[in-house]
Amino acid sequence: MSAFLEDFALCFVKNGRWQYLVNGLGVTLEVALAAIAMGLVVGFLVAVVRSSHDKYGHFPVLNFLAKTYLTVIRGTPMVVQLLITYYIILRSVDSKIAIAILAFGLNSGAYQAEIIRAGIVSVDPGQMEAARALGLSYWRAMTRIILPQAVRNVLPALGNEFIVLMKDTSIVGYIALIDLAKGGDIIRSQTYSVYLPYLTVAGVYLVLVMTFTALLGRLERHLRATGADPVHNDS
Amino acid sequence: MQDALLKIWGLKKRYGSLEVLKGVSTDIHSGEVVVMIGPSGGGKSTFLRCMNLLETPDEGLVYFDGVDIVSADEAQKNRIRSEMGMVFQHFNLFPHLSILDNITLAPRLVRKLKPEAAEKKAMELLDRVGLADKAKAYPQQLSGGQKQRIAIVRSLAMEPKVMLFDEPTSALDPEMVGEVLDVMKDLAKNGMTMVVVTHEMRFAREVSSRVLFLEGGRIAEEGTPAEIFGSPKSDRLRLFLGKVSM
Repeated sequence: MSAFLEDFALCFVKNGRWQYLVNGLGVTLEVALAAIAMGLVVGFLVAVVRSSHDKYGHFPVLNFLAKTYLTVIRGTPMVVQLLITYYIILRSVDSKIAIAILAFGLNSGAYQAEIIRAGIVSVDPGQMEAARALGLSYWRAMTRIILPQAVRNVLPALGNEFIVLMKDTSIVGYIALIDLAKGGDIIRSQTYSVYLPYLTVAGVYLVLVMTFTALLGRLERHLRATGADPVHNDS
Repeated sequence: MQDALLKIWGLKKRYGSLEVLKGVSTDIHSGEVVVMIGPSGGGKSTFLRCMNLLETPDEGLVYFDGVDIVSADEAQKNRIRSEMGMVFQHFNLFPHLSILDNITLAPRLVRKLKPEAAEKKAMELLDRVGLADKAKAYPQQLSGGQKQRIAIVRSLAMEPKVMLFDEPTSALDPEMVGEVLDVMKDLAKNGMTMVVVTHEMRFAREVSSRVLFLEGGRIAEEGTPAEIFGSPKSDRLRLFLGKVSM
């Protein structure tokens, strides 16, 4: 027991090493949440462009750009995208956090776009027709009628993407940004103790993901309590 | 006779190699209740959906209130659609919105009505179809007949000049058909201009001012209900009427 306490003191108390984890957690949350938000914006735009093109032939040029974006982002590893963003595209930018947010946001946007597109396709075509027949413009019908239903239909898949993204941010150490994972790694390198730093880091990620999953579950139940069962949609 | 509310001339529509409409023309005047009957695949629904441009005709002209709507720009088309109500076979209520929001959405967004004014109007209409107590409910809590009455109210809230009905009772359980037809009869009695695609021959006979028999993408026969049901001229109409239950 005393050996554990000694190890604990060495890893987290001495020299205020706990701060590596607390500050790192702050960086992880900042990058993950901002990237999720950015990914949602990008994802919505790309999904609307793609599905509008497939259904009605709108936006041929934007659709080509969107498809290229999806192919490149989904066809290359996240780490490589992060390094290219840091060393090539944004080499004159100082803020590593901003660079990480951009790289992860653009990456997640591609995956979110495909999820949201699947959601848009899943909405009964009669919904768009009814909205248009009432005189709503295409964009109004999209934002007021289609997208709210699309998001509800794919909320579990979107939540999964958010969780993957949150954990994927643990590679930001590649651009020397000190997040939760890198913070634990620094403690290991200073103390030569492996168990406590890494297991603690893993535990914190686990708690983060479980909290997030619980929040999403509540949101899903809330949406289901109002509106229809999205699977059996004969409204 | 005054100028027609809807003038349709030479309408053609094809899907791939299938020609669904082969040149259909008719005028629909204010206050008329025109019922379209005919075998499925005969082009009734497509014809109806061309009237408010849910389908774009390949050839032909559609004039609404004197305006050529086929070549109108997007903003004009939206405005024109807002003046034409449409009721669908599968209701197409918005499941994520309450009944009240379903009804007030378009008046607020398109007509720029204040929320209180839109709600007052909606409640009056709901009262008229006997569903005022459902204002706060969601579509999935309603029966099919109730959903369709709400869908009619949703269209009426825009104060349309014409109402288009695309098989409004075909997806309903038999015991709910009556409540929807009653609302439609009430509308007709109050002078609403209506175009109705239906298999309800009794409704056509009792309520319509004119019946169109569409078959093979053409208006094969046309006349008053008495002419169509009393003395059908063509064999095909006689055959069709013989097959449908009256």
